[in-house]
Amino acid sequence: MSEELRKVKDIVQSFQKSKKILRMYPANNPIYLTTLENDHKRFKEFFYYRDELTLKIRQNEMFFDAEQVYFNPDKDDNLSLFFFKDGLRELTFRKGLSYEELEDFFKIISLDFNSEVLDDDIVTLFWEKDFQNIHYVVDETVLSDDEEYEARAMQELEKKETEEDNLLKAYEDAFREEEVTKEASIVPLSDKDLQLLLKDLEKDSQDKASKLVDLLLEVFRTQSPNDYDDLVSFFGNAFEYIIQRGNIQTAAQTLSALKQFAEQKQTDEEARRHVRKIVLMAGSEAVIMLLGEVLDSGLEIEEKLFEDFVKHLDKNAIVPFMKILGELKSIHARKLVIDALILLGTKDIVTLARGLNDSRWYVVRNIIYILRKIGDKRAVDYLLKTVRHGDIRVKKEVIRALGELGGGGVLQALRECLDDADGQVRSAALKALGNISSEAAKRITMNKVSEKEFRDKEFEEKKEYFEVLSRWKDNDLYEFLMGTLKKKSFFRRARNYESRACAAYCLGLMGNKDALSLLNKYKNDGNKLLREYAATAIRRLEHGQ
Amino acid sequence: MDSREETERFKAAKDLVNQLSIVLRTSHIHDPNNVAVASVIDKLVAMVNYLISDERILCLELRGEFFYLNDYRIRYSLEYLLNFDFLIREFKKRELGSVTFKDKVGPEDIKLFVRAFVSSAFSQTPYEAIEGKVSESRNMAVGRLKKVVEDDAVEPRKMVKKTYFNAVSYTQGVINKIKSGEKVSIRKAKRVVETMVDHIIEEEQLLLGMTAIKEYDEYTYHHSVNVSILSIALGQRLGLNRKMLTELGVVAMFHDIGKMEIPNEVLNKPTNFTDDEWGIIRRHPVWGLKAILKLKKLDELTIKSAIVAFEHHLNYDLSGYPKIVKAIEMDFFSRIVSLADQYDAMTSSRVYSRVPMAPDKALSIMMERSGTQLDPLLFKFFINMVGVYPIGTLVMLTTRELGIVYESNQVFAARPRVMIIVDGSGSKVKGYVVDLTEKNEKDEFIRSILKTMDPNKYRINLAEYLL
Repeated sequence: MSEELRKVKDIVQSFQKSKKILRMYPANNPIYLTTLENDHKRFKEFFYYRDELTLKIRQNEMFFDAEQVYFNPDKDDNLSLFFFKDGLRELTFRKGLSYEELEDFFKIISLDFNSEVLDDDIVTLFWEKDFQNIHYVVDETVLSDDEEYEARAMQELEKKETEEDNLLKAYEDAFREEEVTKEASIVPLSDKDLQLLLKDLEKDSQDKASKLVDLLLEVFRTQSPNDYDDLVSFFGNAFEYIIQRGNIQTAAQTLSALKQFAEQKQTDEEARRHVRKIVLMAGSEAVIMLLGEVLDSGLEIEEKLFEDFVKHLDKNAIVPFMKILGELKSIHARKLVIDALILLGTKDIVTLARGLNDSRWYVVRNIIYILRKIGDKRAVDYLLKTVRHGDIRVKKEVIRALGELGGGGVLQALRECLDDADGQVRSAALKALGNISSEAAKRITMNKVSEKEFRDKEFEEKKEYFEVLSRWKDNDLYEFLMGTLKKKSFFRRARNYESRACAAYCLGLMGNKDALSLLNKYKNDGNKLLREYAATAIRRLEHGQ
Repeated sequence: MDSREETERFKAAKDLVNQLSIVLRTSHIHDPNNVAVASVIDKLVAMVNYLISDERILCLELRGEFFYLNDYRIRYSLEYLLNFDFLIREFKKRELGSVTFKDKVGPEDIKLFVRAFVSSAFSQTPYEAIEGKVSESRNMAVGRLKKVVEDDAVEPRKMVKKTYFNAVSYTQGVINKIKSGEKVSIRKAKRVVETMVDHIIEEEQLLLGMTAIKEYDEYTYHHSVNVSILSIALGQRLGLNRKMLTELGVVAMFHDIGKMEIPNEVLNKPTNFTDDEWGIIRRHPVWGLKAILKLKKLDELTIKSAIVAFEHHLNYDLSGYPKIVKAIEMDFFSRIVSLADQYDAMTSSRVYSRVPMAPDKALSIMMERSGTQLDPLLFKFFINMVGVYPIGTLVMLTTRELGIVYESNQVFAARPRVMIIVDGSGSKVKGYVVDLTEKNEKDEFIRSILKTMDPNKYRINLAEYLL
């Protein structure tokens, strides 16, 4: 075997391997790079002998200079058949073949041509690349469904041969008829024409999806109800396409236009019903999942546009939005989805509340946050079930939500939380009670302070209780605080001084100057803590500090 | 040479042709010693010398409608269109086919060429005049424009014919498949169109010639292919790249797909349509949009196809059909396809009006519609493309010969190549091609068009002459 033939065989063998490697590895992977470098080297070595390498392609074999360099009778993994089936009959690589061209060549042949997503065959992709040093010959008959078509058409044309009489009649008429041709007047193209054309081309490069939906709307406005079902499906596909490209603005404008159309007097009920169907499709799982991908891709999406889109959706979008909420990786994306659910959740609290059963703590916490932001008291029943959630972060969120929402059953739950083993939960429950700021909430807090066990709490927690209590500012509380401030104890005096200091602190926060006389009594007290807190309260009452 | 470097060099080649055009244009106004000319010449010198440093010799050759630099065809973008066109025209006028730079050049070499080039416009033998003067330069040489030899055109003609019928056969297959609910291969559509794009780029006149033949039986399929060809050809004039041309070709091929919904008894009705039948006909754009959107998953090409199927009977001023409630702006592709569609429909014999028109008559009607029904800018490009005497026009010549326009002339629109079918003595002849730019020894044109006639009126089968 000659050296050059051996090299050609090496090259052909490497095709199969490189095809697989380029499919498997990313372009920066060392295996990918080494494979390509070796392939390019093989070609370079071959071009030392010849200026071009031409492979003749048959169904199961390839030839170089009439020598078989590849043979595979199987259907699978058959490189020759792979080229042959798209009509490639000859493949030529020329001496100038660059590394980049070779990479492009392999990138093309490593694509999955069985995929329905790919609209191009191998020849189209070669053609689009317009290689300078890779040439190919194709057999176009593979494109024709009817190989005899040309022959038949030609036969038909031959039957219609021009009659000589007609021809001569034309000749005679040419002298008889008056009509004389006017001088040709082709208007030359000017620079201004080109400028206008450039503008047109620039405009043409914009996304056509919005144009398509404009036309679909036109059809909606003008065609018969028989078209409505098709239109629903077209709009559904259009939404998927638009969202996939991150074109939220077009999606929002489309929904807005559809709604306007539905609200018009002349629009019949059947059309309105179909508009509602389209809106449901815009919020379908398929569309929202695509939206999730776009949000996570890092594409910058204006919050206002996103809100415009979401506000037009129906409640069916809640479930898919909750689904993607647990899957999104970027914080910004999650924030947008949370905002979306705040908007949509108002339409269906029950569905939204189902998200509280999610197995992922962060989803539950987000749903609680959303319910809190919506502020609908109907959510309380669902939230109460979450109070005993195993994750502390969820518990804190739900306590906060309950504190903001208030309502039946909440106080009882919060009271229980004040006894929770976790200090963060107790603290959250205390703040929640303060937020509720009802008489009952005050009573619960005061009772807790009055309990014997309260003395044993850490000073900071005690202080927190009194901070919360200071919100009520009523006489009842004033009296309670004055009593606590004066209260002496023979046992565990240090703990009692802590409570008295907190009462002094709270009186200062309340802002009632009547407390000054009593506070002044303790500003020189022997207990350092009480002395300091009494002094602080006096300063606050006298000077507002 | 890596691909980045290669891209740069291709750009350099494109810039070189553009700069040569600028030099010659400027020299038509000023003397080569003028500062304005000298500065553009200096730039050209730098460009030539940059390229020659690697290539050793540079040969810029005009082949057909394209320039080649050392055998590589130079593709140009829209911004260079006018300068390229100018250069092609001026080269052709002088029968100048190539300019070779044998070594690095200086401004004096270019000035010598420029003077020769400009003064040759007044010579009866312009090429010889240029050659004589340029031979004084050691670094430059020129070559005569190679004429297209008729025999050489046989093979491309065969290939073009095959491509055309493949496309028609494919279109027929698509319609049948859609009707029977089968899957349609868009991959094949692209392949069919790509081949047409290649032919338009290389052999525009041959493929345009195929559209002039109207004697086929299956109008619908031929019309789809014709509109596709005419659209691609116009797109090529507009400077669209190959990928865009393919998209345009596919989109145009599917423009009438909605017609498959029209009952055959209406579509093939031999008499004029009733109002109700017109009502049905007018629905085909909407049916087309629906058919395309059902064809496959939505992507850019499907969207463009659907838009064009919907808009191709809308006029530039939004009259036409379907009636539009809310004002829209017609798509760029729709405006192209609409032009091609009107032209092919008017010059065919199985359209709704049933009255086929001679190509030049169709153009003159379209001229009246330009600005209202048709985009005036695109029409300007269109008429430049088909010429005032489009292929297939029956013409009586001043020599009393009757002929059919065989090939348009892009430089002298009124002087196409004509196939003579009846000679000066009134005898039918087999058909020989004459070039209306040919002059006699007195520097007068040998033949000119005296009048145009309607080939359909005399049932002249253009296929006999153009295939």
